[in-house]
Amino acid sequence: MDALDKYKKAWNNQENSFNRISENEIYKLAHSKSSSIVKWIFIIGILEFVILNSVFLFLDFDKANQEYEKLGMTKFVKYSNVFSYIVLIYFLVQFYLNYRDIAILDSTKSLMQKIIKTRKTVRNYVLFNLSFLLFIIVVMTVLSIRLNTNDFNEKQLWFFGIAMFFTALIAMGLVWLFYQLLYGILLKKLKRNYKELSKLDA
Amino acid sequence: MNDFEKNQNIVHKICRLYTTNQQAHKDLFQEITVQLWKNYPKFRGDAKFSTWMYRVALNTAISLYRKSTRTIKTQDYSEVSFKIKTEDYDDTEELQLASLYKAIQKLNDIDKALIFLYLEDKPYKEIAETLGISAVNARVKMNRAKEKLKAILNPY
Repeated sequence: MDALDKYKKAWNNQENSFNRISENEIYKLAHSKSSSIVKWIFIIGILEFVILNSVFLFLDFDKANQEYEKLGMTKFVKYSNVFSYIVLIYFLVQFYLNYRDIAILDSTKSLMQKIIKTRKTVRNYVLFNLSFLLFIIVVMTVLSIRLNTNDFNEKQLWFFGIAMFFTALIAMGLVWLFYQLLYGILLKKLKRNYKELSKLDA
Repeated sequence: MNDFEKNQNIVHKICRLYTTNQQAHKDLFQEITVQLWKNYPKFRGDAKFSTWMYRVALNTAISLYRKSTRTIKTQDYSEVSFKIKTEDYDDTEELQLASLYKAIQKLNDIDKALIFLYLEDKPYKEIAETLGISAVNARVKMNRAKEKLKAILNPY
């Protein structure tokens, strides 16, 4: 007899030691708010899209446009704006499709995969935006340096360039860290369980 | 709703395995109820209601539920008594059940699910499908989980 058999017998004989919940109470519970990870990922994801894009609404475009004109970048800015909106729409559609595909009736492993995929879509979007921002900063810096070569000596220009680069890098690092923390906490348990299941099929 | 009311013990057992106090038990029970309600329209009736319930409840416990960080002083399970239905009542089974729950709680979430499905007499095919692994892997993994459980129950 297996050592677990006696325990299994006790398991099968466990009578109703739980507080039984009436149909009425179950109905009330069923209509309460969900606090599932998926719901939070969806809310945070949407917030990220909204916050990131509303930042641009507060920027002073008139002043910026004058600067762009001075730098001869008006066309570049226009096209890069169109490009970033196309990318935004692509990511929003992906995010929604991923979210829609999450079905609790999937197997545990496939459910986890889909949750992780949804999160990755938002992560890729944020990474895209950060790299795009870095690219713009680099282009602007190079152009500003070119325009101002007469006012500053070479040493000062180098210093300016390097300072801009590191400021951008630190800003990106901070966003990345914040991001890791946010989702790290949210998905710690899920990732651990996913690894556990994935080890099996390796 | 009636089916759920009848089968609610499945959910209670999972809650007891995946939580350590009664407040968390209630929270998880509530989340599973919400998920069952939300997904009921997708229940097509080609499987037994209870089979469907196992999947929704386990997936919620393992993948969707976030442990509440609230630290309310609540009654620990060690104080909860277990009722056993046997004709000649003795407390052996009650003690066994208490130590079984305590031991399973020490396992990781996936092993917990495996042991739970074993105790509920689910066939390997269903266990494998629920977790999303092959039946062979389910069997291997089950044996390991059982060994871990035995080692916790009988350390010497």
